[in-house]
Amino acid sequence: MPGPAVAVEEVTRVFEPRRKRDARVVALDRVSLEIPQGEIHGLLGPNGAGKTTLVKILSTVLVPTSGRARVLGHDVVEEAREVRPIIGIVFGGERGLYWRLTGRQNLEYWGALYRLSGGETRRRAQQLLERVGLLDKADERVEQYSRGMKQRLHLARGLVGDAKVLFLDEPTTGMDPLAAREFRNLIGELKGEGRTILLATHDMVEAENVCNRVTLIDRGTILATESPRSLGRVISRFQRIDVEGADQELLTRLRTLPGVQAISETDGSARIEVAEEGATGAVLKLLVDAGVTSVKTSLPSLEEVYVHLIGDRGLEI
Amino acid sequence: MKGFLAGLKLEMRIIRSGPDALLPLFTAPLFTIIFLAIVRNGGRHDLQPDALMAPVLMTLWWFALFQGGNLITGDRWQGILEWALAAPTGFASVILGRVAAIMAFGFIGFFEVWGVGELVFGVGIPFEHPLELVLTIVATMFAMAGTAVVFAALFVLTRNAYTFTNSASFPFYVLGGVFVPIAILPGWIQPLSSVIFMSWSADLLRGSLKPEHIHDFWGRLGMVILLGAVSFAIGRAVLALVLRRMRVTGELATA
Repeated sequence: MPGPAVAVEEVTRVFEPRRKRDARVVALDRVSLEIPQGEIHGLLGPNGAGKTTLVKILSTVLVPTSGRARVLGHDVVEEAREVRPIIGIVFGGERGLYWRLTGRQNLEYWGALYRLSGGETRRRAQQLLERVGLLDKADERVEQYSRGMKQRLHLARGLVGDAKVLFLDEPTTGMDPLAAREFRNLIGELKGEGRTILLATHDMVEAENVCNRVTLIDRGTILATESPRSLGRVISRFQRIDVEGADQELLTRLRTLPGVQAISETDGSARIEVAEEGATGAVLKLLVDAGVTSVKTSLPSLEEVYVHLIGDRGLEI
Repeated sequence: MKGFLAGLKLEMRIIRSGPDALLPLFTAPLFTIIFLAIVRNGGRHDLQPDALMAPVLMTLWWFALFQGGNLITGDRWQGILEWALAAPTGFASVILGRVAAIMAFGFIGFFEVWGVGELVFGVGIPFEHPLELVLTIVATMFAMAGTAVVFAALFVLTRNAYTFTNSASFPFYVLGGVFVPIAILPGWIQPLSSVIFMSWSADLLRGSLKPEHIHDFWGRLGMVILLGAVSFAIGRAVLALVLRRMRVTGELATA
């Protein structure tokens, strides 16, 4: 069995203040994580959670304060030269490109940095521009690109070296919904090619749709690592039942059933939370007996898990 | 070598895409006219080679200081530096390639000066010692490139690099004897000037345009090369040190 694509062991990263009056920041606190080869792994967390710091450490551009991280068996600090050819990095935002150069020229530069020959660089740039849908804009300056187009160029840039492991940091920032959906399809294709992908994001839909597993991270600490579907069990082992058309009398009877923890109502529908094995069956029987057929059972969504574990802290970082 | 060529090609494209980078090529003809007008009006036709070589050196210096010096800082502000360092190719070789491209553009100034001298005053470049002139120019560009690498590495450390570049040009023109030979400056300045390669370059350039024998040419050329090599060595060491430090402190990015 091949070793993990990414292995992070007890990694801590502390940013010391430049001025005495500033506080030191613990961006990562003894983080451990293992990503098998071929997996799409989501790294979910709010702003300032430590996602980008971890991506930077794995990309060899930031040194951990303590702990070890390896990519395909190579230590990111001691064997950075071996790590660099096998990784690709994509990040969100508009920076990171030469705006006065064309998309093609940008890709050709990065291809040369990944030690491709002149012919191979041109061929690869052409393929990637086509793959990310920028071929017809390839020879326009990047400063004329929309934000979504720049983002697609970032993705092409990350793929120019044919990396085995890809680190994507908020890659769909600025993309419209259609482009974001295309991007997710592309990630699926990349997985099909056997690549390992670490996707740092705070987009729940994105994580839920494309990731094999997700890690929730907040304030530099890992809260949970699970598949998006089973992550719901971190906050609840039991299903919830959403119903429509249940009257007050029926809801009152439901409240008396053993194992029913809470019932919340909104606009003619109700959500019944159960907290005991077997309670779901009793609730469903009572609903069907009462003639209510608009019923849906579900586990908590990834977004609910996220809000539950990380907390709804509004704009606070 | 791949990194060097990648840097060379990149910088060629960047400079071609932004005419503002070529500003010194617009000022070089003006300086040529000013300097030639001064020496001719003063009746010192023997100083015409001095007046021709000064704008050449000033143009090269401008490119080294402003374009070369801000290479890494510019990449950092554009959010490119981190990802360039995460690429397999050595960053230092990319920078060397970029500096080489900058120096090549700077050398266009030589031909401009030559052309303007001929057109405006009918004064061409007198190739009295052509071999010495070519060797001195090559050595000067090498040393200039080394200096640019030092500036590029040092400017990353400061947020006020532009202030420095704006104010540092003229002191270096004086200390480098670009127009006024060091020999006629106050004595206390001369030891300081001797560690600035431009002072050696300027003397040799002027000497190679005059009919008199160039005294100790090889020794003085060696000084230009030596000081250039020292600059390169310092530049590479400082660059490695700065980038290693920034990886530790997390200051490679600006946001």
